[in-house]
Amino acid sequence: MVQDLLESSAGLMNFSIFFVLAVVLLFVILGFVTMAILAERKVLGFMQGRYGPAHVGGKWGLLQSVADVVKLLVKEDLIPKAADKPLFILAPVIAFAPSFMVMATIPLTDKLQFADLNVGFLYYIAISGLTIVGMLMAGWASNNKYSLLGGMRAAAQMISYEIPLVMSVLGIVLLSGSLNLNDIVETQQNSGWFILWQPIAFIVFFIAATAELNRVPFDLAEAENELVAGFHTEYSGFRWAMFMLAEYVYMFAMSALITLLFLGGWLPLPFLGFIPGAVWFALKFSVVVYILIWFRATFPRIRADQLMEFAWKVLLPVALGNIFLTALIKEFFLK
Amino acid sequence: MTLTGEFFAFMSLALVAVIGGVLLLNLTNVIHMVVALVFTFVSIAGIYVLLSAEFLAVIQVMIYSGAITIMMLFGIMLTRHHGDEEEPKGGRLRKLVLLLGVLGFGAAVYFGIYNLDFQALPNTLHENNTEQIGVALYSQYIIPFELTSVILLAALVGAIVLARKDDEKEGDQE
Repeated sequence: MVQDLLESSAGLMNFSIFFVLAVVLLFVILGFVTMAILAERKVLGFMQGRYGPAHVGGKWGLLQSVADVVKLLVKEDLIPKAADKPLFILAPVIAFAPSFMVMATIPLTDKLQFADLNVGFLYYIAISGLTIVGMLMAGWASNNKYSLLGGMRAAAQMISYEIPLVMSVLGIVLLSGSLNLNDIVETQQNSGWFILWQPIAFIVFFIAATAELNRVPFDLAEAENELVAGFHTEYSGFRWAMFMLAEYVYMFAMSALITLLFLGGWLPLPFLGFIPGAVWFALKFSVVVYILIWFRATFPRIRADQLMEFAWKVLLPVALGNIFLTALIKEFFLK
Repeated sequence: MTLTGEFFAFMSLALVAVIGGVLLLNLTNVIHMVVALVFTFVSIAGIYVLLSAEFLAVIQVMIYSGAITIMMLFGIMLTRHHGDEEEPKGGRLRKLVLLLGVLGFGAAVYFGIYNLDFQALPNTLHENNTEQIGVALYSQYIIPFELTSVILLAALVGAIVLARKDDEKEGDQE
């Protein structure tokens, strides 16, 4: 259905259809974000032997995140006097907009998807790189040393970990012969999930993805005991919420990407094909999100001097070795 | 000319690109300039998409808006610079020559492209362009490609050598 729409000629009608679809997607993602924050707090609570939110909205605290968002919306919007005002206002927008843009190419099932781009995976990497500019701008515009340090750290970390992230997927690209996320999932239909064929790539990708998301153990950019809150120290109210939103939308997108690349997207397990693809996708996706939260509860933060060495001296060589190995296997066994 | 969606998209992207370029020249704050540059880069990538060169567009965003801009920002933030430096004002003659130069350039470009007529050959360049670029790069243009990688490697080694030197000096001082 979307395919026909994409190929039809442009007009006011089409524009409004796209607009409505995008708004629906935005609300779905906002719904995910509120639930993800709640789930994160609940799981963290469970792992630390406490209850987590338990008062607002029934005994599971279902409305806790909604209440938090309302609080942020009505909070006073502070802009420091010494801040660079235009950049300070622009930075959250630049940080958030790409996070929503990357959702356009992520196919949720074979029917439920927006753009079927030829270079889907690269598109994700390229657009998500724009968020770094937003973070760096936020850090600089706040005119605060903690913010600047946090922004610098975030930028350096995200640029460094982007490279092993892309390199680890090259093995999959070699095997499936395409950068299109749909084609990659289709290849897995015949060959089995890529986590079986590319276990090294999966480990490298997962670590690099955690670093890209700025989550524990790679949350040096907002290490609260060194930097207060990193690049968003000076932000409050809804501008701060935009940074948080961007973070969780990236979590959504990255988990979806891991599901598509390594866990076969919407493909069912054998003999369970009667369960619809959307359910499979949701299940795998939830498992990935759960593992990310689990990481947060159990890992200590990595040290700043280990961070770069780990990316350049461990992850990158391993990813390059994986490409070499995959090329050999493809040349000698899969011809 | 009809007002199609493509025309509208091209006009808005071109407008953003040009405004970004003008702001880059006119803003006084270096960081603001780089942000204006990001807008120009991204809208040029959008124009590539309109020309159905998706791979090029994605690489444009990845390399220029992502990597190069951040390198520039790092460079600016890590070096000391004073924002309010008065630039030396040239004399009247200099301005006149500049104006002539600008007009001459504009005229040359105008006459150059006004009657330019590319034959619209039917081609398949827009289909699977990632694959086509890959095939061309690794078969027809393999030697230039390898040469580029050697140059990049040399630059990498050079950067490491420069960085190492600094370290040793600091070590000596201690």
